[in-house]
Formats: sequence, structure tokens, C-alpha cells
Amino acid sequence: MIPVLTTERLTLRAPEQRDFDVFAEFYASDRAKFIGGPLDRDRAWRQLATEAGHWQLLGYGRWIVADRANDQAVGMVGIWNPEGWPEPEIGWDLFTGSEGKGYATEAAEAARAYAYDVLGWDTVISLVAPANEASARVATRLGATKEAEFDHPRLGHLHVYRHPAPDALVNGGAEAYA
Amino acid sequence: MTALPRMMPAHDIPAPRFETERLILRGPEGRDFDAVCAFMKDAERTKYIGGPAETDFDVWGGFCRAIGHWIWNGYGFLTLEEKATGQAVGRIGMLNHVGWPEPELGWHMFASGEGRGLAYEAALAIRAYTARDLGLDRVISQIHPDNARSRALAERLGAVVERETELLGEPCLIYRHPSALEATI
Repeated sequence: MIPVLTTERLTLRAPEQRDFDVFAEFYASDRAKFIGGPLDRDRAWRQLATEAGHWQLLGYGRWIVADRANDQAVGMVGIWNPEGWPEPEIGWDLFTGSEGKGYATEAAEAARAYAYDVLGWDTVISLVAPANEASARVATRLGATKEAEFDHPRLGHLHVYRHPAPDALVNGGAEAYA
Repeated sequence: MTALPRMMPAHDIPAPRFETERLILRGPEGRDFDAVCAFMKDAERTKYIGGPAETDFDVWGGFCRAIGHWIWNGYGFLTLEEKATGQAVGRIGMLNHVGWPEPELGWHMFASGEGRGLAYEAALAIRAYTARDLGLDRVISQIHPDNARSRALAERLGAVVERETELLGEPCLIYRHPSALEATI
């Protein structure tokens, strides 16, 4: 089923219903404004179920990122490719209170390594809303560079960041899920 | 690397597969997406179920959500595939979204599936499977009071209005189905 990845501080695992409260709290907040929110609890439940279904439909998706110390969900990171997306992307959302600790970068590196080493892809993008400066910083920290713009019928204007190709990564990140 | 193939199934869901006289009833598959999309964007056909969807993106989210529902609950919408044509003509199954009073038997019939008794045929079989294999008997269906076609199907299935309520801000009738176990004895 959905693979489990482990990094220094984090576990990336399947989204489950027990993650719903923290997921719903994040989607109800202003912090979700760049990704289609804020959403009420009903809509947030549908969104979390969508994340689970994405795995079944496409064979990859986004993981719940949990603190290894206590399994508390701190975010949602992984590979996201809904209908109409320009290409599969590495996406990251950090739940309320989990910002500023480098979790998005750490989890996204593991997800990118999975895309390259397990799925065998040779490129991947990330989409960032122009006003989402925190997300743009994560993209930059990951070595991705802005290469294009994209207009989405629901999410509006987005910047397309291209990640370094596998060959360009000194450390392919293989130990991230070993 | 755009336009990935719609491969299936990438991960197993516990959907059964069985047949009625004219239909194959099976779990959702990626190839159903175009038919679901046409249905969900049809304003007339979705006006009592919160539609229409405005974008393919929105439909796709709902399509994935229906699969996520299977992963979590062990039941969900089955696709009605017409044997004669191979076409998906509707979706019927047990739904239990957050805020639902209890699991309900729900139906979405596409334009290609209407007027021939296919919904009745499928709903009878699915209601029996639900009672026998899932242990959910005497289930409900939630229907907007103005949705005459859906109410007619519920009543043909022997369901009766138990109470009036609201669902997602809209008026709603809760129909209670008869036992599917006793009906088969």
C-alpha cells in the first residue's frame, strides 16, 4: 500500500482519519488561503479523502508528515498531480504551529528522492502561489528555480519551480527512505 | 511527462465485483472519470446534490475522494458498467461523509443510464450486498424534497420517509429502506 518514508526527524506515512482534526484546523485557517482554503470541516474531510484516493488512482500521492517523537501530524507533503496540473509536483503544507522548523524542506527532499529513485522520474516541479513567500523559500532551499507561470481555473496564478534533476543532486537522498 | 496514463488499480480497495442482468457492479476506476465529469458538470442533473462542478479539477478531487472513502470505510460508490456497451452509466453505493447521520445508500445516474430501470436493478443488488457482507441493513437514503426522480426510485425500492432534516444547508428527506435480508428469504 502506501509506503512509509523516514527522515532524521520525520515519518511520512499514509493519511488516516485520525489526522483529520489537525488537517481540518489547518484548512480552516488563513494559512490555507494559497491552496484553495479556507475550508469548513465538511470540505476539509472531502479534501483529506481526496488525498487518500490520489494514491489509489495514480500510485503516488501526498503523505502525512508526522514528528517521529510522538507521531503528531505536522504537515502534508508529497507528489500531487490532479486533473489539469501541468506536471506532477512536489507539494508541501505545514499545519499550524509547525512552521519555521525546516520540516517542509526535510520532508520534500524525501518525497523528491522517492520520485527520482523509486518512481524513476527524471524531473519534477513545484507550484507556488506568487504571494506565498514561505513556500517560495522552501522551493529555493530545495534548489528549485522558477521557470514558468501557470494559470489554474481554481487556484489562480501560480509560479512553476523546476527541481534539480537527479544527476544534479550531489546526494540523491537515497538514505532518506532506506 | 504530462498526461500520465490513468492506470488502475495502483492500490487495492475492498470493492466487490458482481453482476446483475444488465450490469457489472465494480469499484471506481480511472477510466470512469470522463463519464463522472460529464455528469458532475451537468447543472440539471446535479442541482439536488450540490452541483454543478465548475472545473475538471473540482470533479477530479471528488473522484479521488470517492476512492479515499473506500480506503477508510471499506465501502463506497460502485460504478454501474452496462454490459452491452461497457459504458459507466451511474454510481450507486454506501456513503458516510463527515456530518452524515449514518451510512446512506446513494445514487448518481448519468444521462446514459436513465429511464431503463438500471438504477433500480443496481440498487437492489447493492442493498442486498450491503446487508449481507457489510452488516448494514435497513439503511437510509437522503434525498432533496424536490428531487422527484430520486424519490420515485427510493419509493420503488420500498423506502419510506422517516423524517425531514437538513443536509449541508439544504432541506432533506431521510428515507428508510426495508430490510434487505428479510426480503431475500
